Amino acid sequence: MSDPETSLAAIRELNPKLNAFIRIADSVTGTRPIAVKDNIVTTDLPTTCGSRILPNFTSPFDATAVARLRAWGAAIVGKTNMDEFAMGSSNEHSAFGPARNPWDLARVPGGSSGGSAAAVAARLVPAALGSETGGSVRQPAAFCGVVGFKPTYGRVSRYGLVAFASGLDQIGIVTKTVRECAEILGVIAGHDPLDSTSSRVDVDDYARDLGSGVKGLRFGIVSEAVDKLEGEVRANFDAAVDVLRRGGAIVESASVPSIGYAIAIYYIVANAEASANLSRFDGIRYGHRSKRARTLDEVYFDSRGEGFGAEVKRRIMLGTFALSSGYYDAYYGRAQRVRAKLRHDFGEAFRTFDYLITPTTPEPAFEIGAKTEDPLSMYLSDIFTAPANLVGIPAIAVPSGFDRGGLPLSLQIMGPHFAERAIFRAADWYENETGYWRTAPPIVNVTR
Amino acid sequence: MKIDRDEARRIAGLAHLEFDDDGLVRMAGEMTKILSYIDQLREVDVEGFEEHDATVTPMRDDEPRASIDREKVARNAPAWRDGLFVVPKVIGGE
Repeated sequence: MSDPETSLAAIRELNPKLNAFIRIADSVTGTRPIAVKDNIVTTDLPTTCGSRILPNFTSPFDATAVARLRAWGAAIVGKTNMDEFAMGSSNEHSAFGPARNPWDLARVPGGSSGGSAAAVAARLVPAALGSETGGSVRQPAAFCGVVGFKPTYGRVSRYGLVAFASGLDQIGIVTKTVRECAEILGVIAGHDPLDSTSSRVDVDDYARDLGSGVKGLRFGIVSEAVDKLEGEVRANFDAAVDVLRRGGAIVESASVPSIGYAIAIYYIVANAEASANLSRFDGIRYGHRSKRARTLDEVYFDSRGEGFGAEVKRRIMLGTFALSSGYYDAYYGRAQRVRAKLRHDFGEAFRTFDYLITPTTPEPAFEIGAKTEDPLSMYLSDIFTAPANLVGIPAIAVPSGFDRGGLPLSLQIMGPHFAERAIFRAADWYENETGYWRTAPPIVNVTR
Repeated sequence: MKIDRDEARRIAGLAHLEFDDDGLVRMAGEMTKILSYIDQLREVDVEGFEEHDATVTPMRDDEPRASIDREKVARNAPAWRDGLFVVPKVIGGE
């Protein structure tokens, strides 16, 4: 399936079950169907960020990544469902209701780019853009059995990506195969004068090393992340290690001593930045304005109180607290210093290893409702993915098989800054060697 | 770190967020739980690691260029008149 009309027909047929799209295009130009997460702005479709605070916002400009995709021939077939403002790991924090996992409709697709991952997994589109702040592309890709990639911080312009945590955010890619992912990165990567944080490092030929194998490449197993794991996730990871070794890779234990602090760092740094970024949603220039507001203060307080959902408010509150007078050094300052230590620890590990590997998630997709009453347990779903965002390195999630219940499991491969080409080489080899990407979820076979 | 209702109210004021009393109590409890997890950062020896790294975001040249079309901005505004955003009276009484 590669033409937009076939894609649109499939979306119209399955979206009532999956809720993967917030908005479906009526008609498209372009020849290559692609879905775009609804926090990346487009001129032809509204952008909601999965929030009630942006009920009818249509951007006056395209995001740079979208503009580059259109120039390449992309047809933007729709905007995908997401946790509100990309804050969540299950898609349940969407104002438009949760997207569902194509492998089991009672389970979450992961988040926050859950709609993008579900859409690719259900073969509605060959590729989708997502966004990453702490694993929001890789974690849902893992839950849905597809490829999810986060580029190096600064590799892809964020102009037109609605800001969550500017020191962490990156646009990411969801595809069925690693090769498609490498191709799309080549289209959207590169410096953009409209995003000062976009890198001037030359864009690589990302597909060049595909097919070169893994013989002699050095993979480090992050022991602090993997040693405590048990059960099927651990057995699946060990099997992936065996595959790499049989291919001639050198796989040994690696140490990143501070990795266990990643989630604690993340929820201070990301929320602090979010509390500042989301102050722009004030009911004045765009978005929801409270009907009952009579004074300027009421416009701010009531519009935000009515427009933001519970998780977004929780994070703004935590971030505001961490930046507030008297707590800044103890929380934000300290989190940034532990983050510097984490960056140092990764740098040390990459002196010995070309790659660091872990499972992408500590468990497969959970049931809808299982974690909504316990925010902290939801946060820990990103325990293996958040470190790459904090350090700014590229990382990929690639399908590694299924558990006994038939739910997808996933291998994460991380590399040093700007090692995208090397990551694609290893992930593509592993993907071809194992072939899990060929298995589509039952919903595809049943209905089409 | 324990957050009580009054502290949650203070933070909500800084964050420009409206909560009712029940909402504040619930938020205080959730923040306390999350911050108690985050407090593990206190045990890390961060000697020699700085809050800010040395990299500086380069600025683009400060040159005039075409901006967004006003008509398109107006389309997204909750209240707009004569090329301006409309807000409640800011200065003086009712």
